[in-house]
Amino acid sequence: MFQYFIRRILLMIPTFIACTIVVFLIIEVTPGGPFDQAIMSAQQQQQVSEAGGSGGGDKGGQQIPEEAKEALKKYFNLDKPLHLRYLYWFGNVMTGDFGESYKYSEPAITVISSRFPVSIYFGVIGFVLGYAVCIPLGLYKAIKHNSVFDISSSLLVFIGYAIPGFAFGALLLAIFGRQLGWFPIGGFRSEGWEYLGTWDKIVDQLHHTVLPIICYMIGSFATLTVIMKNSLMENLGQDYVRTAFAKGLTERRVIFIHALRNSLIPIVTGLGHAFGLLLAGSLLIEKTFGIPGIGMLQYETVLNRDYTVIMALTVIGVTIQLTGNIFSDLLYATVDPRIRFR
Amino acid sequence: MASPAANNAPTGAPKEQGKSTSLLQRRIKKFKSLKRGYYSFLIVLGLYAFSFILLFFINNKALVVHYNGEYYFPVFKEYVAAKTLGMTEDGDAPVNFRKLQAKFEQENGDNWLVMPPYPWDPDERDQETKIVDEAGETVNYPYPPSSIHWLGTDPSGRDVFARMAYGFRVSISFALLLTIINYSLGSALGGLMGYYGKKIDLFGQRLLEVWSNIPFFFLVLIVSSIIQPSFIILILLLSLFGWIGMSYLMRGEFLREKAKDYVSAAISLGASDRQIIFKHILPNSLTPIIATLPFAIIGGISTLVGLDYLGFGLQGKLPSWGEMLQIGNDNKEHLWLLLSPIGAMFITLLLMTFIGEALREAFDPKEYSRLR
Repeated sequence: MFQYFIRRILLMIPTFIACTIVVFLIIEVTPGGPFDQAIMSAQQQQQVSEAGGSGGGDKGGQQIPEEAKEALKKYFNLDKPLHLRYLYWFGNVMTGDFGESYKYSEPAITVISSRFPVSIYFGVIGFVLGYAVCIPLGLYKAIKHNSVFDISSSLLVFIGYAIPGFAFGALLLAIFGRQLGWFPIGGFRSEGWEYLGTWDKIVDQLHHTVLPIICYMIGSFATLTVIMKNSLMENLGQDYVRTAFAKGLTERRVIFIHALRNSLIPIVTGLGHAFGLLLAGSLLIEKTFGIPGIGMLQYETVLNRDYTVIMALTVIGVTIQLTGNIFSDLLYATVDPRIRFR
Repeated sequence: MASPAANNAPTGAPKEQGKSTSLLQRRIKKFKSLKRGYYSFLIVLGLYAFSFILLFFINNKALVVHYNGEYYFPVFKEYVAAKTLGMTEDGDAPVNFRKLQAKFEQENGDNWLVMPPYPWDPDERDQETKIVDEAGETVNYPYPPSSIHWLGTDPSGRDVFARMAYGFRVSISFALLLTIINYSLGSALGGLMGYYGKKIDLFGQRLLEVWSNIPFFFLVLIVSSIIQPSFIILILLLSLFGWIGMSYLMRGEFLREKAKDYVSAAISLGASDRQIIFKHILPNSLTPIIATLPFAIIGGISTLVGLDYLGFGLQGKLPSWGEMLQIGNDNKEHLWLLLSPIGAMFITLLLMTFIGEALREAFDPKEYSRLR
């Protein structure tokens, strides 16, 4: 068991390297890649210093002399062959240096870490509320299988399947934000949040939280509820439940003490993967609500072709995913003693 | 050899008198008996078939023109110069058939034409309708819903209803094609790993681990923002990663089926690998394909909507719900711009979910027994 996880952790390394190589290659090979981007950003800086900041460089291709281009190439290691460039990049990453963002002229890691708290805030709340709603709901649906409640709540589940969270978010924003004015139309906090009193800060924050959280929950609502329901239904048909009934235990005790524990297994093992989602945020929902989290940063970096940040996000994303997988296995082995990894 | 399909038939399934039914026939019958799913299937199938003749119903070109004793069928033509149909003042510009119709009616002569019932093209800017509000001011785009534009127009004057209708065909075709490619690739590679096992399997699984951990949506965004893919290229791009899920399922199926007696029997009869894979195992391994198909299509539609919403999908090359959603989101004060694509998407996905649920029930039934 212990050996298995050591092996898994060691296997993370080649997987990690291979993943970054693939992304690195694809980015480098596509036209308009990092080199053009570096030139552009250098031009922009030049123009900014010349023209005092007005009108970023849209047409400045001719202004950079060849020698300067060569110097730039050298500076960004772009005169070296591809594999050496990857090695340079990889070496820097290992020392914690992800390079500087073309767009923000700050270290990429600073740009990313400033966005993380926002995504985690929504991720954690959505996650906790999602489980808090779906587990009891699935449970109750399983116990009252085929009742009016079960069938009518299935309708909600179908709706959850049929409408993507971000589309629902756009609708909520338009109706409750724009038309009725009950909620702010997006953003993480109001402008000037720092100057509010403590109580107002909390109210403002919650005010901005309600609609996005509904969307985060919609995404997992349908799947989670159905998993919970089916899992409990399956367990209720097992022999050990029959034995428990035969012993003369009450239905309440059989369901909540015996069957529930086992039926939570598939839910618990999903936690590991949810962990990844939690940190990565949701690009589409963050874009809809204008929430400046990791998802929004992904969108912006792609728009701006901010390659250093893109690579840094890739590294973080892959690492989170790989740890999430192992975490998920670990949970599986912990909650289900029948599982033995070798 | 007896039908291999009977191998994993549920025991005690009632047989009709006189003739035996195959497992597949029984499953299809079961699916048909699940009315909600079956009718949803018929509706989606009907709508999709209808979307291929949408040209004759929602279009700005006349179906038939009778002009100076001759018949024209402009609906099949890309371009008809205005002067050929007697609109000399428009010269070489394409004919505006709505205007031509009005002209013919005014002349009250022999000439006539038949317009499609809904005479707007999804990509056309409406430059002839003028709307005046109560205060007497001209209303700018977007026009609100009216009898002329059932669901109004978007901020660039294009008819929302026409875009929504054509978006249906684009969405379903996209998802269907993507699913077919994903499933073929996934089944082929997964089946290969499951059937041959050993080194191929080990090696394949390692590769898959790398491939499945690449942040692929992000990568698709990057590549798509650079190359501005066409319909087909976008599908190919997505299918680079989309086949992974199916390969796991098919690998499992092949691993399980390979160990069964009918395969041993086939081997001892001297069947080749190809025969065993295609004639014996594959027909018995179709359950995961069929049971997950509608959900894969839902995934495909959602992916396209998401990409278009972000502006990294078809990028305006074809009418799409995602683009409409993005326009609606940017113009929240005009609710119909948002409600139209969301409504269309919701109904389509809901029908798909019903189909999926019924197919799962028919092909992969879970029976729950309860003591109390």
